[in-house]
Amino acid sequence: MPFVAAVAASHAPNILLEPGAEWDEFMVLHYRMAPQAAASKPSLEAQQKLRRDAEKAYAALRADLETARPDVLIVVANDQFVNFAFNNIPTFFVTLADEVKGQFTRHKFHYRNHKELGRTILKAGIDRGIDFSFGEYVELQHTQVVPLYFLLPEPKIPILPIYVNTWVDPIPTPRRCYQVGELIRKVADGWKERVAILATGGLSHFPGSPRIGEIDTQFDHRLLEILREGKGRSLADYSLEEICQAGDSEFLNWMVVVGAVGDAKASATFYMPDHVATGWGFVSWKIQ
Amino acid sequence: MSSYHLNRFLFDLKMNDQTLQQALADLGGVLNHYELTPEEREALKAGDPRRLRQLGAHGMLALYIMRLNPEFRTNVYWTQK
Repeated sequence: MPFVAAVAASHAPNILLEPGAEWDEFMVLHYRMAPQAAASKPSLEAQQKLRRDAEKAYAALRADLETARPDVLIVVANDQFVNFAFNNIPTFFVTLADEVKGQFTRHKFHYRNHKELGRTILKAGIDRGIDFSFGEYVELQHTQVVPLYFLLPEPKIPILPIYVNTWVDPIPTPRRCYQVGELIRKVADGWKERVAILATGGLSHFPGSPRIGEIDTQFDHRLLEILREGKGRSLADYSLEEICQAGDSEFLNWMVVVGAVGDAKASATFYMPDHVATGWGFVSWKIQ
Repeated sequence: MSSYHLNRFLFDLKMNDQTLQQALADLGGVLNHYELTPEEREALKAGDPRRLRQLGAHGMLALYIMRLNPEFRTNVYWTQK
């Protein structure tokens, strides 16, 4: 059983910022875009509780990952104008670097990249009608390293960053992301090592928009309920309009993992809206 | 009209330290390297991310104009990407 674990987790930067001054400083820039969002700013105590609750959720996911003893962790995330800009925005991108690095405030990250698995996914995609972009260098950013800080703090195994364009219109459909996940599962099932997958992002939020501060908790709860029921396949029928109206475009990263787990029921879900920007969501699927 | 050069400048402000240093020293000078409309130039000089967004800047790139604002010069935001 070479596909051994699947998890999904928010990557909101404020999860890893210190509650208090760092949170407040960070958010003041967003409030310049949407002054009304400052009204719901949580107290220091509420920020500290959010951090503790997020740590508990990440700890549960990390325990599931470690129990599965993966040899490689595929990380599905969106680039946010670090590696890709408007001259070239890949819809799906596989990293073929030897190693990948990044920094978040005082935290530095350095992992080996599983180029061989990346190349195999790339070729399998070409055979099956999914033509990924690829490249030999990427810089990690918060979309990967915030979850990795909690889930893989020591670089004991290589990772494989795969990017989904969830930010720059036009973005791929939930169905296409699901198909990419099915492809990755097929490769993983035949792989010589134990493969785990992490999707990052979401849930509901409106970054860089006048709607920042709105969190569609109802939509998020429905998504998590569907994952607990093992009906993730039905999410491929959702329209982009439904997903984007709820501020859940980064759920497209999750849709890749949903395609990889198929009809497996989520074994654990956690949800906490941060009251300033994002509905933090965390999910684990036990595959074995 | 395409807002490519507007987004390109904001991307460079985020990712290229040389562009940041040049912009801090002489914003008007560095903007001459980009094909911007007079309205885009004016909005960049005004430093209001909401106005840049209305002109076609991606919201999360528009935020980076505040990197030139003395009030936010040492903001923790710039220590992550």
